[in-house]
Amino acid sequence: MRNWQQDIPTIQAYWIDRVLFDVHHKEGHLQRYNASPDAYLSAIPLSAEIKALIRDNAVGALYLAGANPYLLRAHCLGLHMPDAEFVASLRAVAGEARRG
Amino acid sequence: MADLVGVFAASHTPVMLNFPDAVEEADRSAVYDEFRKLGAALAATKPQTVIVISDDHLHNFFLDNLPAFCIGAADSYASPAEHWLAVDRHALRGDSALSAHVLGEALEAGFDPAFSMQLTLDHGVLTPLVLAGLSRQVAIVPILVNCVQPPLPTMARCLQWGRFLSTAIRSYRGCERVAILATGGISHDVATPRMGMINEAFDREFLRLLELDDSEQLLRFATDHVNEAGNGAEEIRNWLMAHGAAAGHRFELQFYRPLHKWYTGIGMARWHTGDAS
Repeated sequence: MRNWQQDIPTIQAYWIDRVLFDVHHKEGHLQRYNASPDAYLSAIPLSAEIKALIRDNAVGALYLAGANPYLLRAHCLGLHMPDAEFVASLRAVAGEARRG
Repeated sequence: MADLVGVFAASHTPVMLNFPDAVEEADRSAVYDEFRKLGAALAATKPQTVIVISDDHLHNFFLDNLPAFCIGAADSYASPAEHWLAVDRHALRGDSALSAHVLGEALEAGFDPAFSMQLTLDHGVLTPLVLAGLSRQVAIVPILVNCVQPPLPTMARCLQWGRFLSTAIRSYRGCERVAILATGGISHDVATPRMGMINEAFDREFLRLLELDDSEQLLRFATDHVNEAGNGAEEIRNWLMAHGAAAGHRFELQFYRPLHKWYTGIGMARWHTGDAS
């Protein structure tokens, strides 16, 4: 397995990362996100499928989609997602991770 | 002229602060004890300033502006950047004069770092300093290396940076005693399917090569095998900078233990430079 899914982020990965970053670094964003993830994500230029992955904390799928792992980790720590669930979601996609 | 009085390295991970009970008491005590020993050894070198080589975990920087190398140039740094990190908020004292010197020398020497006069430092800088009992004791110059978002600077460039840093410190007239603390690594994965798996063989070989001090072998191994050791192992760049700065002085491994429940191969070490050699 390689350390990174992408050698440089795609534009889709940029916007996933933009959400993961802004929620935890911009004043009032965490509160807005917690109040309604769907409303928070409505203006973000991502597909409905990817927005659902973010909303549902689909960690493994977001990892495969190119989310920066550090932002993904910090996001889930900030949302108090149990570590066992976090790791299990990642383990479930091990077979699809980038190799070589 | 300043003396490089000590060069140290230690792993960092937020779980050491957030989830202390995730590991056995014996492991937790051992790690905390070793951090205190490292702090005492570093303090014993009587540094006026500590250059902390670490990485920003995408708190100050983002994909809209992400430097490969950034020198902090402030008199004070807020911390922590993470609202969820289990540590009290406090400011770390900076040494902007030494920062300015290193920045100027770097540009003269053909390096092109960014600089920032307002950084909020994260667990990468904070965890080792807190556990070593130094976060309120020493002035720092943070140098942040991109180890967290490809494309990353090469391992070779980091070793070159370290060599340059040693020269820059020794040409500084503003104080007499400077130490270096590099933080991060060794083997670990953050938010990948391997999270919790540690490549102990990688860690031990990397540490052996630091001790052997064969730059060619060290760089070849680091470059060719880092993908076997996890994305967190990319932080060996910080250790390579320290190694470059130590410039052949004796490397001594203080502690190593792979702690799967803290997801990390925890290492601590020093290079015997300056008065402490």
